[in-house]
Amino acid sequence: MNRLAALAAPRQDYSYAFLDAYAKRELRRRTLKAIAIPGYQVPYASRELPIARGWGTGGLQVTLSLVGPESIVKVIDQGADDSVNAANLRRFIARMSGAQTTTDALKATIIQSRHRIPEEILREYQALVLQVPDPEPLRAVESNSSRAHEMHAEADYGQMWLVLYEQLVRYKQYIQGASYPSLVNGRYVISPSPIPRWDTPKLHQSAHLTLLSAGREKRLYAVPPYTDVYPLEFDDIPFQVEDQRGWVCAITGVKNKFMNEIPQPDGTSTYELSDTGYMEKVAPADATRTEPPGATYYDEQGNFYHDGYLKPPIQPEL
Amino acid sequence: MYVAAKGGEEAIQQAEKLYHHLNGEVTREQVEAIRDHLPYLVDRVMGEASLYAPDLAALAIAQSGGDLYEAVLLLRAYRSTQPRIAYAAPVTPDELLTVRRISASFKDIPGGQILGPTLDYSHRVLKMDVLDTLNPPTSLQNGHYHEASEETGLTPADRPAPRAYPAVADWQRAQGLMAASPKHESVDPADIPDVTSDTVLFPAPREHRLQALARADTGGVLALGYASMRGYGLIHPTVNELRLGYAEIMAKHPVTGAQFSAGRARVSQAEVVTSDGSKAGLSIGFAATLGWNEVKIIAASTLDLEMNQPEPHPAHTEEFVMYHTEPVESSGFCIHFKLPHYVTFASSVDNIRKVIATFYSSESKLQPERAEAQS
Amino acid sequence: MSAHPPYTTSEARSRETFLALMWALSYPGRTPTLPDNADPFALIGDTLLDLETSFYTPDAQIRARLAQTGARLLEPKRAAYHFYAELDDSALATIATANIGTLSYPDQAATLIIHARFRSDSALTLTGPGINGSTSIQIDGIPASFWTMRERAAFPLGWDVFFVNDKSVLGLPRSTKVTLE
Repeated sequence: MNRLAALAAPRQDYSYAFLDAYAKRELRRRTLKAIAIPGYQVPYASRELPIARGWGTGGLQVTLSLVGPESIVKVIDQGADDSVNAANLRRFIARMSGAQTTTDALKATIIQSRHRIPEEILREYQALVLQVPDPEPLRAVESNSSRAHEMHAEADYGQMWLVLYEQLVRYKQYIQGASYPSLVNGRYVISPSPIPRWDTPKLHQSAHLTLLSAGREKRLYAVPPYTDVYPLEFDDIPFQVEDQRGWVCAITGVKNKFMNEIPQPDGTSTYELSDTGYMEKVAPADATRTEPPGATYYDEQGNFYHDGYLKPPIQPEL
Repeated sequence: MYVAAKGGEEAIQQAEKLYHHLNGEVTREQVEAIRDHLPYLVDRVMGEASLYAPDLAALAIAQSGGDLYEAVLLLRAYRSTQPRIAYAAPVTPDELLTVRRISASFKDIPGGQILGPTLDYSHRVLKMDVLDTLNPPTSLQNGHYHEASEETGLTPADRPAPRAYPAVADWQRAQGLMAASPKHESVDPADIPDVTSDTVLFPAPREHRLQALARADTGGVLALGYASMRGYGLIHPTVNELRLGYAEIMAKHPVTGAQFSAGRARVSQAEVVTSDGSKAGLSIGFAATLGWNEVKIIAASTLDLEMNQPEPHPAHTEEFVMYHTEPVESSGFCIHFKLPHYVTFASSVDNIRKVIATFYSSESKLQPERAEAQS
Repeated sequence: MSAHPPYTTSEARSRETFLALMWALSYPGRTPTLPDNADPFALIGDTLLDLETSFYTPDAQIRARLAQTGARLLEPKRAAYHFYAELDDSALATIATANIGTLSYPDQAATLIIHARFRSDSALTLTGPGINGSTSIQIDGIPASFWTMRERAAFPLGWDVFFVNDKSVLGLPRSTKVTLE
């Protein structure tokens, strides 16, 4: 009757959502501090996961600390739901949590992303989890992370401005590509993760919560909802998003959304929407499952939804 | 296709199956053979994973086809699911069941130089006859211990070796050549900083540094340590003591409170010394790791000493060493460049086009501020 | 596909409590619901505390309950999480010593969990991150001196506060500007 096996709990290889209770509590404590101090990089322990480091383990840890059986999870890489690494992360999250998955940005409660923010305007109580390779916007001017940390403490961003100034002197324009450094809540400069400049304004006064997590570098930071985020720019030379005016998606005919450029054998290019979840709504593969797209951050003419936030480009005088 | 419109999930499953098809399935016999015949490889993986589990390490090696970074990641990922159920008692060098103990500082030392098992003075000649299918050599049966016998060629010692050996540094301290050991106060093990669960900040507590070196990538530690030894360092290290041995892992029973042995682990430790001419005499660098891995701990103890210098070479600062010798992080980041980066690349191309339009289009009379190189 | 690891009752309560705290801090002034039929201090303690962190509370009963989490009871100026059933003069004096963090490590500032009653009447106006424009709330039982003390630490320094009642939580991160009407 009283056999030992009957007294023992059934063998359980993993905790719910993989992380054990200690790891979850630690991440949750750090997440709360990150939200309370917008843009400040909170150090955390960062557990090893069964996914290679540098492949989204930072974002994955945050997602695993949020996810529950009723969650609806979307995972994208470069905007694509079906990119191999996104598919792998989504499979792991679902397997460890029982959460539903979706490609619809508006249906998701948690969106984990590498390098993109969806085109449709995210709403309140959605959590966008961005995977971050390098959380330190000052890395290019200060490779020593302890010294960079002190520069943040002192809000000493002079060297960042100097870099931008040098770009203007040399090239007549900013030549920072993705990960455009941005000032959060008027205090901390962050790397918004390697999202294109097209996506950076979407962080400003957003309805949703953005959590950014670097697993390898063990830093976690947040842009809370309704928080000011401004790309670094001089008053007279405005920050500019990628110039894709005139690019038309070959599949949907859509314009003024972020596009992938596809080189053609004849030397030309075609274009297609980077956001595959949005593409699915605009041109559904299965005509019976039509879901109208929601409002987008950029309208059909390319106007950003916060009027006046993006200034018209100033062409350098030739 | 790399980013298939619908095939991502299917593609990764097929790719994994193809890997197994190509490399064969892992069997229990293979795992046991790796554990028994490749102990130094198993040791290296256990050390870098900071998990002493020879069976699991051998399984990780087999499962990853011998890709050591994959094997270490497998073991680390397993480790992070395991709760800490107890703290073992500290292991001190003089209690180590030492099988090899040498010092380069003196010709002879109290307790003697013990060469122990080593290939240091072997001729590095491939034993081609092993591959000879007609006349297989008889002495190679399996990796288990052989009794000293005519067959193995080992001569038994006249008297048993002592169970333990005094530390060389103790003699130096008694001679006033080295500062006295810091007062040994008993600490609550829960208070010992743990690099596997704490946030690492710099300057790091000494515990973090030694733990990071213990689990560091062997090749990474060697590269940075060698750079110091070869001339970028500020010190000339002398190997004061190198030990390989078995540590008795003593723990307290959670219910009865009785001390018991949880088993023995192969460990190695090295101590290098240098003198800066100060009154304190010799200063000491230390490293230890799970498993027997001499290259790693000599390089690591040199780095420990180097990191203590007031203005070390940039590649020998604590932050530089600790970040860049992390095997899982460095290898993971290196291979992550295989992932698609076309969004960030598109963002850069946008800038390149703007710069070209500004300076190099037919209408432009502008020149970039800094002239291109003349070549 | 094999079933996911079990979503246990304790797992669910911790997660739901955490989500309530996270959304409370993300949208200051709103009052997300805590899991039913439980003491909010115990819920928050079980969600955030373990032997890696520390707490302080003047209340012996709460102290006994929170000690079960394994967290260390520390003096107020070193404790990471403070729990107060009410804000009397001695509690205010204690809060005055609570850690507000440093410019290098503002995340080391204390978190205060305070029992209070709150309504959506307008007595306090909140602005700052997480608030679309401004929002108004009323929190009963909080002396004016508490707000004065809070004002003394300039962002990014300062403690973060969770006001709890029996079923919901209101978050007040240090980034929120509070104006008394």
